Amino acid sequence: MTRRQFSISTLLALSLFAIAVFAEQKAPETAAVTVATVGQTAPDFTLSDAAGKSHSLSLYKGKYVVLEWINFDCPFVRKHYNSGNMPRLQKEMMEKGVVWLGICSSASGKQGYFEGKELTERLKSEGFSANAYLIDGDGNVGRMYGAKTTPHMYVINPEGSLVYAGAIDDKPSTKLDDVKGATNYIVAALQAAMAGKEISTKSTVSYGCSVKY
Amino acid sequence: MRRPLFVYISILLAILSSMAAANPVRVGHVEVAFLSETEQITAGKPFGSAIHFKIDDGWHLYWKNPGDAGAPPSIEWQLPDGFSAGEIQWPYPHRIDLPPLTDFGYDRELTLLVEITPPSNLPESRNVELRATIDWLVCTEICIPGETEVKLELPSGSSNLTANKSANHALFASAREKLPIENEDWEIQASTTEDELLLSIVKPNWVEGKLQSVLFFPEERGIIDNSARQIFQSAGERQTLRIPRDMNVHSSPERLKGILVAEPGWRGHDSEKALEIDLPIEPTEVIAGAKNEISGLWMALLFAFLGGMILNLMPCVLPVLSLKVLGIVGQAEQGRRKSLWHGTIFAAGVIASFLVLAGMILILQAGGNSLGWGFQLQSPAFVFVLSSFLFLFALNLMGLFEIGAVSLGRKAGVSHHAAFQSFLNGVTATVVATPCTAPFMGSALGYSLSQPPVAALLIFAFLGAGMALPYIVLSAFPQLLRFLPKPGRWMVTLKQVMGFLLLGTVVWLAWVLNIQAGGNAVVILLLALLILALAAWIKGQWGSIPLARTRTFTAATAFVLLITFGVSIGLYAIDKFGATALTRTAAEPSGPVWENYSAERLAELRSENRPILIDFTAAWCLSCQVNKRVALENDGVEKRLAELNLALMRADWTKRDDNITSALAQYGRNSVPLYVLYTGKDSAPQFLPEILTPQVVLDALAQVKKKSII
Repeated sequence: MTRRQFSISTLLALSLFAIAVFAEQKAPETAAVTVATVGQTAPDFTLSDAAGKSHSLSLYKGKYVVLEWINFDCPFVRKHYNSGNMPRLQKEMMEKGVVWLGICSSASGKQGYFEGKELTERLKSEGFSANAYLIDGDGNVGRMYGAKTTPHMYVINPEGSLVYAGAIDDKPSTKLDDVKGATNYIVAALQAAMAGKEISTKSTVSYGCSVKY
Repeated sequence: MRRPLFVYISILLAILSSMAAANPVRVGHVEVAFLSETEQITAGKPFGSAIHFKIDDGWHLYWKNPGDAGAPPSIEWQLPDGFSAGEIQWPYPHRIDLPPLTDFGYDRELTLLVEITPPSNLPESRNVELRATIDWLVCTEICIPGETEVKLELPSGSSNLTANKSANHALFASAREKLPIENEDWEIQASTTEDELLLSIVKPNWVEGKLQSVLFFPEERGIIDNSARQIFQSAGERQTLRIPRDMNVHSSPERLKGILVAEPGWRGHDSEKALEIDLPIEPTEVIAGAKNEISGLWMALLFAFLGGMILNLMPCVLPVLSLKVLGIVGQAEQGRRKSLWHGTIFAAGVIASFLVLAGMILILQAGGNSLGWGFQLQSPAFVFVLSSFLFLFALNLMGLFEIGAVSLGRKAGVSHHAAFQSFLNGVTATVVATPCTAPFMGSALGYSLSQPPVAALLIFAFLGAGMALPYIVLSAFPQLLRFLPKPGRWMVTLKQVMGFLLLGTVVWLAWVLNIQAGGNAVVILLLALLILALAAWIKGQWGSIPLARTRTFTAATAFVLLITFGVSIGLYAIDKFGATALTRTAAEPSGPVWENYSAERLAELRSENRPILIDFTAAWCLSCQVNKRVALENDGVEKRLAELNLALMRADWTKRDDNITSALAQYGRNSVPLYVLYTGKDSAPQFLPEILTPQVVLDALAQVKKKSII
C-alpha cells in the first residue's frame, strides 16, 4: 500500500471541502429581512432632524439609545407631553448619557407630520427635550423597526443591539391620571441594563394611535 | 288599592325624568346613551343595561383588544349603595385594516351590555339614579379621545309586575345576538408551532352546512400577527385555522383566549357568528414521543460510539475500510509499535474531522442556518468536488498514474510524512462516510441538537472514536488479519476492484447532482471528469520517476494545472448553468403514491387520525436509498401500505430545505434517514430503525392494523 497515492488527492478534497462549505454559507444571505428584533443588532438608519442635520444610529454606538415614535397630535402622545412625563424622562435619561431620538413616521400631509419652522415652534411649545426629532416621511425606518403605534419605544444598548421594544408603560390609555402609578418600561430597562442586570421585560405590546404611514 | 296608582305615577315620573337627563349625549363623533332593558327595577333582581354608541360614518370604536393601535371604551360606574355592575359584555368586532396595521373594532354603532344588580333591600317605589362616566377613543385615521357622564333614573317596583319590557327591547335583543356564544359542545384543540397557532375544530351537530371562513380574535394583545391572513381549511368534519403568531413579542401563552367569528354565521345568514374559546395550548413537543430514547449525555455518547463502529459497515465506508485494512497488512511488516502508531494517527484524523464537521455545523447554525448530518452533500459544489476526487482516486487505484513524484512533505522525513498520510486517510474516511447514517447514530446526533456546544462536540468526537476503534484494534493486533494472504499481487488486484467500486460511487454522485442541479450539471461533471482523466493519463504516461527530470516536471505541472482548470471551470459552470429550483418529481410508475411532505398537510392528516408514514430521505443518503429499494418498495410492504390506507409522505432533504430541517428537529433529529409512523389512534409517533428490512416495516405496520380495528 503506497500511502503517497493519497497525498495530492486528499489535499485537493480538503481544500475543496472548504470551498463547498463556503458556498453553503453564502446561500442564506438572500433571505435576509431587516426587521428589528429584540436581542439582535438594531438596524442602522440615517434620518434628518428638524434643522436638516442628518443622524445615523451607528454614530451613537457606545451609548444607550432610546427611540421614541412620535405624533404630537395623537391623544396617547398628548398624555405623555401634557403631563410633562415625556420631556421629563428625556432630560433625566440624557443626563445619564443616554441618547434619545424622537422619530416621526407620519407621511407628509398626514397627522403628526411637521417640518421647518412649524416643527421647531412645535418642539419648543411641547418642551421636547431629546437629542433630536427625526423626520421619517417615507416611513422606511418605521417599517424596518416594525413601529406600530405612537408612542412606540425602543432601547438599544452600547453594543448596538436592541434590548427593549414596545410600550412606554403598562397603562394603555389616554388619561393623564394614568401616568402616575404606571410602571415605565423604558426606565426599568435602562436602569437594569446600566446596573449590568438582566432586563426583566424585554418586549411588550405597544399601545397608542396607529403610525400614520 | 293605593299601590297600582302609585306605581303608575312613579313610572310616569321616571319617564319624565329620564327625558330630562342628558341622555343621549353627543360628544364629538359619537352619541352616547345609557339604556335599561326594563322600565323599572326590582330588589335583588339583575337587569340589563347598555351603553349605546352611535358612531359617525368613517369613525370607529375599539373592541376590548383594540389590535395594533387604539384603546377600548371604558365605563366607570357611580352607582348608589348596594348596586353592583357586572363585566362589560362585548359584541364581536371586525377587522379594521390600516396597512400595515390592523385594529379590531366597530363601525356605526356599538352596544356594551352590562348587568346591574340592585340590592336585595331596595325599597319599592323609589327613583334610583344610576350614573357612569364613559370614556373612549374614536378614530378614523386620527384619533380623538372623548369622555362624558351619563345618568339614568329608574323607579323601583315590585317583583310581580310582568309587563316590564321597555321600548329598548329590540336594541337589547340585537345586541345579544352579537355576543359570542359559550363553547359547550365544540371540540377545539389549540397547538402552536414556531410561527403559528393552530386550531383544530370539530363543530357540533347543530351547526349545519359548511363554514366558509372563520377568524380568530385574541382577547389579549401581542398573541397573533393581527394583519396576517388566517388560513381556514376544511378536511372532512374537522377544520383547521392557522393563525400567524406575533413574532415581535416573545410570549408563549399557556392558554388561548378569545373568540372565533364565522361568516356568514354558524347556522347560515343571520345566525350566531361568534364563539368564545378559552383553551390550553398544547406545546408542539407532543410530537417528540421518542425524545426520551436518550436519557442523558452518557447514553448519547454510548450511542454515538456504537453508531460510529457500525458506520464502518455502511456501504459508503466499505471501500475505504478495505483499503485501510490493506494498509494495516502492509504496516504489520514494519512491526507492531509502528503499526499501532499509524492506527492512532488515523483515529486522530477521523476524530479531528468529525470535530471539524461538528464545529462547522455549530458555527453555521449559530449564524441562523439550519443544517444537519451530511449537510455538505446538500451543496452541488461539494458533490461535484467529491465526485472529481473519487474519480481521480479510482484512476489512481487502477494504476493509470502514480503520485510519488510530486508528493508533499518530502523534506520532512519519511516517518513524518507517513504519519501525515495516516491522518489524511482518517479525514478521507470521514468525508466519504457522511452520506450514511448507522443505527444509534440518528438519535445520538439528534440529542446533540439540544445540548450546549461542548456536549455536541463530545458526541461527535465519540462518533469518530467509535468509527476508528476497529482500526486501532487491528493495528494493535495485526495477527487478527492472519487469515489474509501475505502482501503481494492480490493486493494490486483488490485495489483495482476497489477502483471500480469508487467509479460506481461517482455514478451515484452524478445522479445526486442531477437531482440537485439538473442534467446540465451532470454534463458539466462528465466534461470535468474527462479533463481529469486527461490529466491523469499525462501524469501516468510522462510523469513516472525513471524518465528525464524536466519531462516529469512538465507532466506534473500539466497534471496540477489541468486538475485545477477542470475543477474550477466545473464549479463555475455548475453555479452558472445548474438548475437551482429543480423539484424532484415523484414519478413512481407503480406502487403507492408518496406525497411531498408539508407541515400543513401533516397537521391535516393527523387531525383526521389517518395512519401516516413519513420517509425523511435524501438522494445522497445511501442508507436511505438502500432502505427504499429493499424495504419500502418491497411488494409485500407496498401491498400492506395500500391495504391499511396509510397516508405516505416523503420529505426530501437532497437540497437544503429549512422546513425539513425544522421538521427533523421537531422529532429530535438532524439526520436522515428517519422513518416516522403515526399509527392513527395514538398521537405519539413511532420511529422505525435506521436500517429497514421488509419484516421490520411489516412488524411496525401490524400495530396500525390492530389499532384501527379497535
